[in-house]
Amino acid sequence: MVFGRARLVSTSQPAAELPPWEQGPYSIKRHGLSISNCDAEPVQTPGCIQAHGAMLVMRRDDRIIVQVSENSAAILGAAPELLLGASISVVVGVTGELRLRDLMARTATDANPLYAFTMEPRGDAAPLDVSLHTIDGVAIVEFEPVAHGGGIPKDGYELVKAAVGRLRGATDLQHFCTIVAEEFRELTALDRVLVYKFHEDGHGEVVAESRRDDLSPWLGLHYPAADIPQPAREIFRQLWIRPVPDVDGELAELVPLVNPDTGRALTMTYCALRGPSIMYTEYLRNMGVTAGVTMSLRHGDKLWGLIAGHHYSGEAHLPLPVRAACEMLAQIVSLQHQAVEAQEFLGYRLKLEGVHQRLIAQAAREGGLAAMMDGPPMLLDATSATGAALYANGRWSRVGVTPGDDELDALARWIATRTEFQSPTLPVYATDRLADAYPAGASLTAVASGVLAVPLSRSRRSLILWFRAETAQAIRWAGNPDDKPTVPGPHGMRLTPRRSFELFLESVTGRSLPWQSVEIDMALRLRTFVMELVLSHAERVADLNAELVRSNDELDAFAYVASHDLKEPLRGIYKYAHQLRDDAALQGAEQTVKLERLMRLTVRMDSLLDSLLHFSRVGRMALTMEVVDLNSVLAEAIEIVDARRSERRNEIVVPRQLPTAFCDRIRVREILTNLLSNALKYNDKPVCMIEVGFAEPHEQGNTTGRPAGTRGLTAYYVRDNGIGIESRHADQIFNMFKRLHGRDEYGGGTGAGLTIVKRLVQRHGGEVWIDSVPGEGTTFWFTLAQATEH
Amino acid sequence: MLLSGQVEPVVILEDSDDDFDTVCEAIRRMGIGPEVCRVTDGDACLTLLSQRTAQLPALVILDLNAPGTDGRETLRRIKLDPAVQRVPVVILTTSTNPRDLDLCYLYGANAYHTKPVRYPDHLRAVEVILRYWLGDVTRASSVVHAS
Repeated sequence: MVFGRARLVSTSQPAAELPPWEQGPYSIKRHGLSISNCDAEPVQTPGCIQAHGAMLVMRRDDRIIVQVSENSAAILGAAPELLLGASISVVVGVTGELRLRDLMARTATDANPLYAFTMEPRGDAAPLDVSLHTIDGVAIVEFEPVAHGGGIPKDGYELVKAAVGRLRGATDLQHFCTIVAEEFRELTALDRVLVYKFHEDGHGEVVAESRRDDLSPWLGLHYPAADIPQPAREIFRQLWIRPVPDVDGELAELVPLVNPDTGRALTMTYCALRGPSIMYTEYLRNMGVTAGVTMSLRHGDKLWGLIAGHHYSGEAHLPLPVRAACEMLAQIVSLQHQAVEAQEFLGYRLKLEGVHQRLIAQAAREGGLAAMMDGPPMLLDATSATGAALYANGRWSRVGVTPGDDELDALARWIATRTEFQSPTLPVYATDRLADAYPAGASLTAVASGVLAVPLSRSRRSLILWFRAETAQAIRWAGNPDDKPTVPGPHGMRLTPRRSFELFLESVTGRSLPWQSVEIDMALRLRTFVMELVLSHAERVADLNAELVRSNDELDAFAYVASHDLKEPLRGIYKYAHQLRDDAALQGAEQTVKLERLMRLTVRMDSLLDSLLHFSRVGRMALTMEVVDLNSVLAEAIEIVDARRSERRNEIVVPRQLPTAFCDRIRVREILTNLLSNALKYNDKPVCMIEVGFAEPHEQGNTTGRPAGTRGLTAYYVRDNGIGIESRHADQIFNMFKRLHGRDEYGGGTGAGLTIVKRLVQRHGGEVWIDSVPGEGTTFWFTLAQATEH
Repeated sequence: MLLSGQVEPVVILEDSDDDFDTVCEAIRRMGIGPEVCRVTDGDACLTLLSQRTAQLPALVILDLNAPGTDGRETLRRIKLDPAVQRVPVVILTTSTNPRDLDLCYLYGANAYHTKPVRYPDHLRAVEVILRYWLGDVTRASSVVHAS
């Protein structure tokens, strides 16, 4: 296609033997047929030019000629031996020398060939276009016969301007490339112009072409990476245009081959006349090409592709103005191509970003990443993925066609070990051929030939995966890409370019369409969004917690202030009632009773307020958890209720030693104190019998009301032979200030004791319940730990 | 213990007339006659003390929930002021809040009493305070000695 294709062949010369030019300077003419590896050919120092022109190399400062192309007699009228050591004025005259000197002084000529002037013809020869550039301390002067292109307009600027105007009308990248092919063909009048794109793996594809009607189309054909060797690609990162006007043209070697001042080979990268590799001209010849020109299509420093012109009907000498126009157009096309591509990406990008932002809003509103999968919109919208899976909070959410949960688990574990997935900056894994890297992927090709994955958490356990199904593909190769022709050469087998360009169809399995860079970018952006969302969620929880602490504190303060403010009038009421009662002793018993009633009410109100305060404190205080011997706690509790015990006959029985428990000693003592005190109070039997015990997890413990969640825990009980509680009241006894009996029956009380018991048990994570038979007694049960089951 | 001949006054921060009346009743029933200076807010209390640095009161009784500068802040400032910090300060309040208890002792209160709701108990509480601080205890001299 464009350049000679060759590969290192195992039957080539022994590795120990150096290439012949390693012992001296390289020249295509002398060594060009000994190449066994195109990637090693020194194409920038070929030592030869194309013989339709001539070249002189002079020192910058004194303009003395140091190297001459061997064909100088034919083109310039003087043999090399006459020119070497002479001033350039011998060839271009004194005026010409002055103009070249001025050009070097006024303009940046380094690596930048510039047209200097046209030399008058000698006799019947054509006039010569003279151009100059400097490099490595020397000036290279090139002489080319002026070409007479039929009907070529003279003004390069006008040509470029018209072409740029038409390129601006491109609707998309494909259209743009087609216009590029047409414009360059118009400009060069060659038989065929191709726009050739490099894929990620280096192989090329013809994405646009303009051709003479009778030629067969090459559009959509693929060419192996080796067709354009690495050194050629390197040159096109530096050079905009490379003409080979006569594929069958002779080569002229430089005399001498190395610069006599420096002993080094001449760098000819920027020479229009630079001699082409023999592999290249053979390759072109195999395709029937008689003349060619190649221009580069770059995005910044990256070689995106090439614009290649082929001619099949003899030499094609492009006049200098046309080449200048091509060079300028190639640069403009490169810039615009990049802009058009960015534009096309931008449209897709905006669509994806729109969907992603709505997904994030949805997840934020519904408080869970899984909401991103519920849709609409959905993770699959706007992308060309065929399935997606999200792993968050220990489970998979799936949409579209994806592997099953088990397969996803295994795949996620494998992806987590990929180095690209562990990158601190751009953690992403993308492939269009999963089974090549992941053996278990072989059975998944139908749904997951392509995988794109980004982690959603630092631990990389949470992640999003997009899938692409296998796409049945057939690559249209121009010739069998595995064809490696060799022929015998002077140093063993040597490579030759491919001779067959017959359409060769390769069917490809286990592959999806590749992930575009914009899709990978958007996956990474979605990841950033999600991580911000998770972070802001955590911040909100922290804010709410702080808020809760403050409102708890405020509530606490409020309880104290309220009780203080309520108690003050109570004290006053009591005081004046007390004083009145003292005075009323004279007035009669009736008033005395009323006043005493008033005083009792205030005292009762006072204890209600105290209970309320105590209850609020129980809910707030931090527990001091430790391993506690419940026997000693019970002993303390019994001591506390001693005063009440002295009021009636009673007996407290502990059938077996209590175990130890992990709990807050003081709070558990309060639980026992309240339950014992209740048992002593609500009893009408002659002897009040109380039993304190426990049931271990494996014991039934003779209870009916046990909540399911407490199975597996030790339950403690306080059993009495008291008045019992009717089952219809069982739910109410734990309510604040709820009393089942008259205020002054059974020793009175505020009705807060059991509420406080329940709160204390709950603070331990436990539960409290009762078994009771009215008239026979009640058993209060409680646990002191969080149930682990359920 | 004899309480007569008591010359230094007792300063009471109390915004409730009823409760102040109870204090006066307790003093009347004890049959002693210390001068009682009543203030109803913290600023007034601090001003009064700053005017009496030459001869400090025998005792300051503070209610905590006073309008304006409350009893807690008044206590803090008294105990931070070298001119008056050696006066015994007794808290007599309705608050049973453990935070108040901790705070007052941290600030240097000499005692903390809660006001009972029952009138006789309230009277007894005041009597106990006065008997202890005006009679049983040997207080720092109320006259400032140059040192």
